[in-house]
This record gives sequence, C-alpha cells and structure tokens, in this order.
Amino acid sequence: MSTAVDQQPVGIEACDCLTPFGNAAATAVALLANRRALALTPVLGRDGGDLVPLALLGSMDETVAPRWLPALRGLATGIPAGKWGSPREPVVVTSSNFGVGSFYAYMRDHDVRHMAHGNPFACVELLRREFGWGEQVHIFSHACVTAHLGLAHAARLLHAGLADRVLVFSFDFVSPFVAGGFHSLKILNGMMPAPYAVRETGSIGLGDGAAYAVLSREAASYWIAAHAFYNEMFHFTSNQPDASGFSACAARIAATVGGRRIWVKGHGTGTLEAGRLEAEAFARQFPGAPLTGWKGSLGHTLGSCGLVELAITLAALRGGKIPGVVGGAAPTFTDTVALEPFASAGFDGGILTSNAFGGAHAAMLLTHV
Amino acid sequence: MFERYLHYAKVDLPAPDETAASARVRLAEKFPRTALRRMTHLGLLVGSVLEGVPLGPDDALVYATTFAESRALEDFLASFPAASPLLFQTSIHPGGVQQVQIGRQQPVGRLWPLAGRTRLVEQALLTALLEPAARVVLVGGEERGTWMIESGMASDRAFSFATVLTREAAGALGRVGFNPGNPVDEPCPSLDLFGSALLERSALAWQGAGGSWTLEWR
Repeated sequence: MSTAVDQQPVGIEACDCLTPFGNAAATAVALLANRRALALTPVLGRDGGDLVPLALLGSMDETVAPRWLPALRGLATGIPAGKWGSPREPVVVTSSNFGVGSFYAYMRDHDVRHMAHGNPFACVELLRREFGWGEQVHIFSHACVTAHLGLAHAARLLHAGLADRVLVFSFDFVSPFVAGGFHSLKILNGMMPAPYAVRETGSIGLGDGAAYAVLSREAASYWIAAHAFYNEMFHFTSNQPDASGFSACAARIAATVGGRRIWVKGHGTGTLEAGRLEAEAFARQFPGAPLTGWKGSLGHTLGSCGLVELAITLAALRGGKIPGVVGGAAPTFTDTVALEPFASAGFDGGILTSNAFGGAHAAMLLTHV
Repeated sequence: MFERYLHYAKVDLPAPDETAASARVRLAEKFPRTALRRMTHLGLLVGSVLEGVPLGPDDALVYATTFAESRALEDFLASFPAASPLLFQTSIHPGGVQQVQIGRQQPVGRLWPLAGRTRLVEQALLTALLEPAARVVLVGGEERGTWMIESGMASDRAFSFATVLTREAAGALGRVGFNPGNPVDEPCPSLDLFGSALLERSALAWQGAGGSWTLEWR
C-alpha cells in the first residue's frame, strides 16, 4: 500500500449534522431547493460593524453557558449508545475555533466565567462531562481540514485493531472573533459568496455547523474508502499559483478511485483564486465529474465543514439527488461546475474535499453499496 | 506491539523571561529574515528544534500543543474592533509549525495537529505510531502567555521539542512502544514532562489508550 494515501475503508454506522436549516435531511432538502441560510449580519454581533453573510443558529453573541452547548446537546441525542471515550470506543473531537468566542466575550464583558471554556482542551472537557465520555477523547485542530483528520484518524484506530467503534464529533460556531478575523482579511465582505463563479470580487460566508459520525469496520450502506492529504506550506492565505497543491491532493485520492464513476463536492468557499485552482485541478484529474459545493448557502462551517458536508451528502444520496452549487452563477471556472441538482444514480462514489490555511488539502472517497 | 525508534531529539528550553523579541535575536540565524519578523515565540521555538530536520511530501508531521499561540491570541483579542489580519492568521492552530514550514518552503504530506491536554502526549505518540510514513516528525511546545495565565488558558513557560521517529532500529537514540492489552487509564505524562524526558534521556512508562506505553533510551 502506498504511504501517500490512507486506504483503510470504514463503514458509517450513523452520521448527522446540525445547520441553521436543521439536521442533515432538512439541510439537504433546503439545498436542493436552492435556499440560502446566509443573511447579512453585523460582523461583530451586538458590537456592530459591517454587514457580512453569516448563517447562524441564533445570535452569535457568546453567553456564559456557551451558545453552542444547547445545540450540541440536541445533536448528541442522535448518537448511538456506546461506551464513548473508552479505549475501545474512543471519541475524536475536531474543530477550528472550539470555544474561542468566549475569549472575545470576556474581553467585551469582563466576566471571568467566559474564560472557563475558550481553549480547546477546556471546551472539550465541558463536552466530555456533559456527554459522559471517558478519558479517551482525541482532539485535533487543523483549521478547515480538521474534520477530515478526525475521520482518517478514526479509520487508523479501527484498522490497527485498537478500537471497535469511533465517534467523530465536530463543531464550529461563528463568533465575532472569527468573523472579525476573516473580515480583516477582506474576504468576508458585504457580498454573498458565489462559489466557482467568474466575477470581479471574491467573498465567503461563515456558518454555524456541527456533526458527528460513528465509524466501524462492520458492514454499512456507506463507506469512507480512502483519505488523502497534502500541505503546501507556500503561504498562509494563498496557494501555489500553479495549482500544484490541489493537483497533488487530487492525484493522491484519484489513485484510490479505481473504475468508479465519481462526482466531487469541493471546498468552494467563494474565493476567486482558490476556487479557480480547485475547479481546474479537479476537472483535469476527473474529466466530466460534476463539481458541487454548498458553502454558498451554509457559509463556511470551518473546522466542522468536512463532517457537516459528509452528513449532508449521505442524506442527499438517500434521496437520490445531489444539490448543486447554491449561490453559484454562470460563467463558472470550469464546465464541470454543477449549478443545478443532479441524480446520484449512475455514480458509485463521491470525493469530498476541504482546504485550510497554509495550503492544507484534504480529500476523502465516499462509496456506497 | 506498535513501536518506532527515535533518531533525533532536540529540546529548546529558553530563559524564563525570554520574549518573542529576544528569541528573534537569539535564533535569527535559523530563519529567513523575511519570515523572522512575523514569527511568534512558539513558532521560533518550534523552528529552532526543527532546524536541520528537512521535511518533504512523503513525510508526516505530528504537532502537539495545548495552548498554541497564546500571545498572538491575546494580542488579536486586544486588537478589536480593528481586528489585525496578521494576528488572526498567527493565532490559528497550527500556526506555530506552519510559520516554520512556510518560512522554509517545505511542503509536507500529512500534518496532524493535536490540541488536548491531559492525554496529549499519549495521543500524539499514538498518532505518530499509526502513521504509515517511513519518517514521522513529532514536534511540540508552548509559548508563555501573559494575562491568560491567570485563568489557566496559557502556559506559564516556554519550551519546544522535536524528535524524528522511524522503523529503523540501527543507530537509534531510543524507542517508543505501545503494547495493547490494558484498559486502565493512568495519568499520562504532560507535554513539558515529555520534553524533559527528551532533554534528559529519561525513561517514561504509563498505561493508557488501552495499553502500556514505554519511552526508553539506549
């Protein structure tokens, strides 16, 4: 087996997500209807600022009991029973921001109670106590490819015989901290994102998102067959202009596809240069494979996006129709960009990708029986 | 039994009062000048222990830190309402190691940044042991915070360590092993204790993640 790619298939026992539209099934229905969850919102919440596209589960102003906690409680009710956090059933938590919005709230309100769960370990400790998980809770944080890492790590634990089932839990909620940060980079601006569209100015949206997956080596209807990664280390916020980073990751995951007919769910935030490089690289690697993406509706759910979009994909596959690029518009960077929903029949695999700061690339191959 | 051999071990334990500015002076020769002025204290320390450890597309990098870029985080928070784009970038995990790799223009196949606390060392080692790459670099560390130390949200000391793990026993400095079969979780060595073990070549042993762990030296 090549060490450049993780080819350790795992079955998906359960998977769901939470977005402003609701669970994965409700979100898939909304995306198929071309609905946007994004709405123009003050970038610093109650502290005001420019209006930017955010897709939120309520106000983004942080509360003492973190605003994400009730939402995660609700999501967690769907997780199958298990000895989660035990050595044989470990949990992998992935996020980019964890509870960092609480630090912003502390700076604003000077209430020390906000400081209790801003850091990743403190935030996850709150979840661990809340959900009764044991000590075996692994925490990864690699910005917007984090969920892919969590899923790949889970597959490795299972294939090494170190776990029977793994719960991967991922969440990222928007705060003035992160909205203000992206706004300072000028990419979160007053325009709605139009992923993969040729236009004058790029823009992204941000969204709240959370998801979980329970993985095992038992038979399942859907499998994550492989993962591929690549880290360019070219620049913090831009990619190698020759698309070599996108091409490297696309080539790695392509090596696992075999004769499958696949479609691609790209990262597609709405940035121009990265969007073009991504669309062109995947069109070269997978000629004719439709390329879709949903951040034009849901916003970028950051570290959780890989798992949120996996859950939506599974719901869409069950309904037989894959949502097209919501918020997209012609002309597009390549003719493979799917602006309309398309039937999943005829495809026997999907490639789901995410990207992150530092030129980080992640891709997984989803297959179904 | 899962095992890897240590072929490099380096620790940077700066003076307790070292700042990012003084670290820039101390470590200036290790970094491209254009990168140096923007680097955080943790980035400088990580770069210091990774000097002479070139990484490539076939390698894997495991990065462990509980608090990450605490100073960038503190300063970014203080920059509101005019949020600083540079501080935003550098406050994001895993900026500490990305600063180094970007400065040196070294792509890497897989990067595994971990952010736990009580079992961080165990999880970082497990991540390294499960890596199929022939060469895995494990790097970790902290920078010293300021006002966040009081609430336990920043480290009160700065340090970094790095080790290169391979399957090659010949010429190794030491060995890390994990033997599955024991479900009891004992306290796991902290990140700074692990760094001290690398510095002093001292052995470690504990139970966790369903098995027995050993770090031993030759």
